[in-house]
Amino acid sequence: MPEKIPGLTDRTLNGPAGDIFRTIFLRIQTAILIIDPAAHEIVDANPLMESLTGLSRDQMLGKGCQGFVCPAKCGECPVTDLHKNILNIEREIINAKGERVPVLKTVAKADFGGKEYLVESYVDITDHKKAGERQAALIAFLSESLLRAKKPLEMMQKDFLQLAGQAMSGDYDAEDIRMQLVMHANNLHQIVMNLEELQKKALEGQQDEIPPEFKAFFFRK
Amino acid sequence: MDAQTHADEPAESMLCLMLAQPDNVPEMNLLVMKKIIASGCTPLIVSVNKPNKVLTKMYAKEGISPDAYYVIDAVTQYSGGECTPGPKVKYVTNPSNLTDLGIAITELLKQMPAGKKCIMFDSVSMLLIHIPSVNASKFLHFVVNKLKLSDVSGVFLCAEKGLDPVILSQMSSFVDHIMDYEKVGTTTCIL
Repeated sequence: MPEKIPGLTDRTLNGPAGDIFRTIFLRIQTAILIIDPAAHEIVDANPLMESLTGLSRDQMLGKGCQGFVCPAKCGECPVTDLHKNILNIEREIINAKGERVPVLKTVAKADFGGKEYLVESYVDITDHKKAGERQAALIAFLSESLLRAKKPLEMMQKDFLQLAGQAMSGDYDAEDIRMQLVMHANNLHQIVMNLEELQKKALEGQQDEIPPEFKAFFFRK
Repeated sequence: MDAQTHADEPAESMLCLMLAQPDNVPEMNLLVMKKIIASGCTPLIVSVNKPNKVLTKMYAKEGISPDAYYVIDAVTQYSGGECTPGPKVKYVTNPSNLTDLGIAITELLKQMPAGKKCIMFDSVSMLLIHIPSVNASKFLHFVVNKLKLSDVSGVFLCAEKGLDPVILSQMSSFVDHIMDYEKVGTTTCIL
């Protein structure tokens, strides 16, 4: 069996304070990576980071952070080179299966034993994203219902009043009035069918018809 | 004329999405029709809202002769009426038949005499009874592209707030202007 590689927290934390820190590091419900900013190398990862990425701690230790948890190129590290503040920024992590996992990322600098490290924390927001998608689907359903029912009905109401005027005016014959009444009857039937179809789709949770632009509009900042 | 020369010419056509309160859409139709004729354009009305026979009488009451415009009628057959053939009218089985609607637009535009032409689409809101907004947006994009390539103007009538923000933003990228009928009133030249 290969020897377990010690992480930063295994090497540097001694005594009761170290035990407390280590317990918190292992049990906290936030995925944490500790990076050596000089080498841009992962020096520790907690168990939640393992479950978030699907990679074991041993698989992560010693890996470069660039191209793994950060898309930045060499010399363009947002923290060490560009001095950006990374606080609850929405990012994606690619897990071991190649799936993109949406996360909130925060990077903080910390000093361990006189050396500076980066503590990167990740909160999985997959459920939040799914809830947002469901909300967008519901709003898209309501919006489409409004478009395909309410506005046409308002216009039809006006048309019916106009029809009453046409019937009284003597300028329009019975066929003119009949055609318009049949058209509106067919339109009403179509509106009912549209609403039934939209309701069915909403109940079935079909979200394919929600255009990505609608989601982009809905989630605009 | 080669493609490059054509592309270098300034476009004379204008595409406009005109919005009104649902109550005012019929009045907006008459106003736009009068303005198209006054600007020297030949109008082509694409109606998914009124049968040609009724439109003819409505326009005649406003002093607009049937000789002055062309019509694509997508509702007479849909409402069980008689499709009286005529040189200036084409019938489409129903408003959801977008293929035939597109063909009719192409054919009638070719058939119209040379000179300035303008399509009036009445209305985008009523089209949405028959097709989902996603398909309506694609169809309108197709029509707008056809008009731009043919240097034909177009006015698309729509009930205010009868378009979702996405269609409105897409339409605003297709058309040159979005106008509010109630704000434009009767004074502004739309073409």
